[in-house]
Amino acid sequence: MKSAAIAPGDVTRYGLGLAAPLALVFAVFFIAPLAQLFYLSLHNDAVATVWGLGQYVKFLTDPFSLSVLGATLLLGAEVTLLCLVLGYPIAWLHQRAGHWLQTVIILIVLLPLLTSVVVRTFAWIVILGRQGIINSTLQSLGLISTPLRMLYTQGGLVVALAQVQMPLMVLPLITAIGRIDTNLADASASLGAGHWRTFFRVILPLSMPGIIAGCTLTYAAAITAFITQSLVGGGQMLFMPMYLYQQASTLQNWPFAAAISIIFLVAVLAIVALFSTLGRRARINGDAT
Amino acid sequence: MMIDRRRLLTSALTLGAMHAFPGLSYADARPLVFATFTGSWEEAHKAVLVPAFRKASGDAPVVLDPMLSVDQIAKVNAAKSNPPIDVMLHDPGPALVAIGQDLVEPFPVENSAYYKDLIPEAQDPNGPAPFFQVVGLTYNPDTVKTPPTSWADLWNPDYKGRVGITNLNSTLGTGWLVEVARMHGGSEANVDAGFKALEALKPNLAAVAANPGALATLYQQGQIDISPGNFNAIQILKARGVPVEFVAPKEGAIAFKTTIHIVKNSPNKELAFKLIEAALSPEVQTTLTEPPYLIVPTNAKVAMTGEIAKVLAKDTDELKKKFVFQDWKTINQQRASWIEKFNRDIKI
Repeated sequence: MKSAAIAPGDVTRYGLGLAAPLALVFAVFFIAPLAQLFYLSLHNDAVATVWGLGQYVKFLTDPFSLSVLGATLLLGAEVTLLCLVLGYPIAWLHQRAGHWLQTVIILIVLLPLLTSVVVRTFAWIVILGRQGIINSTLQSLGLISTPLRMLYTQGGLVVALAQVQMPLMVLPLITAIGRIDTNLADASASLGAGHWRTFFRVILPLSMPGIIAGCTLTYAAAITAFITQSLVGGGQMLFMPMYLYQQASTLQNWPFAAAISIIFLVAVLAIVALFSTLGRRARINGDAT
Repeated sequence: MMIDRRRLLTSALTLGAMHAFPGLSYADARPLVFATFTGSWEEAHKAVLVPAFRKASGDAPVVLDPMLSVDQIAKVNAAKSNPPIDVMLHDPGPALVAIGQDLVEPFPVENSAYYKDLIPEAQDPNGPAPFFQVVGLTYNPDTVKTPPTSWADLWNPDYKGRVGITNLNSTLGTGWLVEVARMHGGSEANVDAGFKALEALKPNLAAVAANPGALATLYQQGQIDISPGNFNAIQILKARGVPVEFVAPKEGAIAFKTTIHIVKNSPNKELAFKLIEAALSPEVQTTLTEPPYLIVPTNAKVAMTGEIAKVLAKDTDELKKKFVFQDWKTINQQRASWIEKFNRDIKI
């Protein structure tokens, strides 16, 4: 493994040159607007004439704004956890399955990506609604007398987001788990480890890169999923994307909206950094044992 | 910049040519850009307003560029001296913002053939209103057997867990809150009574939708059975076979002006004026009152027929009696703090 890591050193040099067009696009269409956003956020008044850190102070000293940020980060954590718990077995099954079944699993995982997020989200409205599939099934079975409220609740939103973002979790997991040599599990078993021990000491640490990548993608997608959040979560559950939209669009308070975006960005970057640190530590621990 | 012979010659030639053929500089100019709204607005304008404008302007090129009010304001703001849009369309809130930011050219009232025919509420020298949007009560006739007659019916305990509203991001949500406040002694300047009433509405609330579009679709799922709703949004659902009816409450249906504005520094002011004239004309407005558009006219000479006459008003006099107009200048002053209060307090 070590030698493989050093050898591609030469290749990256060419890679950088080839990445130049993309880097340019990135600089012009991402870095520059981001700088502009930051510049805008450093103004105290809505028409951006007075310089100052007022918008940041306003956000960071307002318990309500902080609670919106907290709720958004928590929502992301819930969705990511649910995706991981549901997605890992699928990825694991994919590695163990025969060729035909593997194709089916990949197809099922990819299928949602072929429909737009709006369509997937609307499907959840149909499923969770008062006369939706779940409520009418439960009612016809006589399990409930009045419909449960699932649409426009946190639980409903987490489930819908988890389904919508599931491919982002499962695909990296499939790649990572697929790379694990199946002989390792046999080796572990022959050395006397049980199924659980083998899983926790061998398979799980080796699949950590996939878990980290999947969690990062799912997390970022879940907390920024404006469409799903507003359609399944409704107008009274406020998360950062809607808060931002409200300030920018309805209230025309662009500097505050810009400050919200920057704070949101920093918070998300911090979480992503935390993920990768945890991942690295887990890998180091895995190597050490 | 280096000035050499060749460059000098081209510049001189260009300047001379532009002088000799003034039409040449217009060849570079872009077509008239009309920023309408997306969805049914765009459809209606493409099918009715644009052909009428072409006829009136001798086939002048026009482009529809549908976008939200906020985007219109942003785009014009970003290039005030050479705006990429010539005609803007706005709800009452954003219209005041655009006027406040000096993005709007006064409408040449004295040149207009139709301005004087508009009902007084639709006349505004900063940009007249060619259409009204009307908000009233919407209900599912399959489940709500007695048609509601008042906003107060939303508080009826029979509708526990079946009422839908939108948050205050939308004109609809904000306007409705003002009406509720008014019912309880409040006004555009003070909606505390409205918030108190919202508190009492909580047991009935099944949904606080993120926007009016999302609210309307909840009828399809049976998630809600009664709500405030936009007349035109409901007509679209009704046409698709969704069981939904619109009724003007006895307190009066809320009418929002949709105003149309010439953008300041527009290079196409003449054409912009012609487009607005077409929008105010009785011909265009009459066509737009017919299905599938059913847009409420502002020109007093337009006869109201069909569904509009049935559920809203037969003529301008009745319209004025049955519609409530709100003072958005006052509303805009406090809207930010209302939205903040709504964010904090309304959790179901």
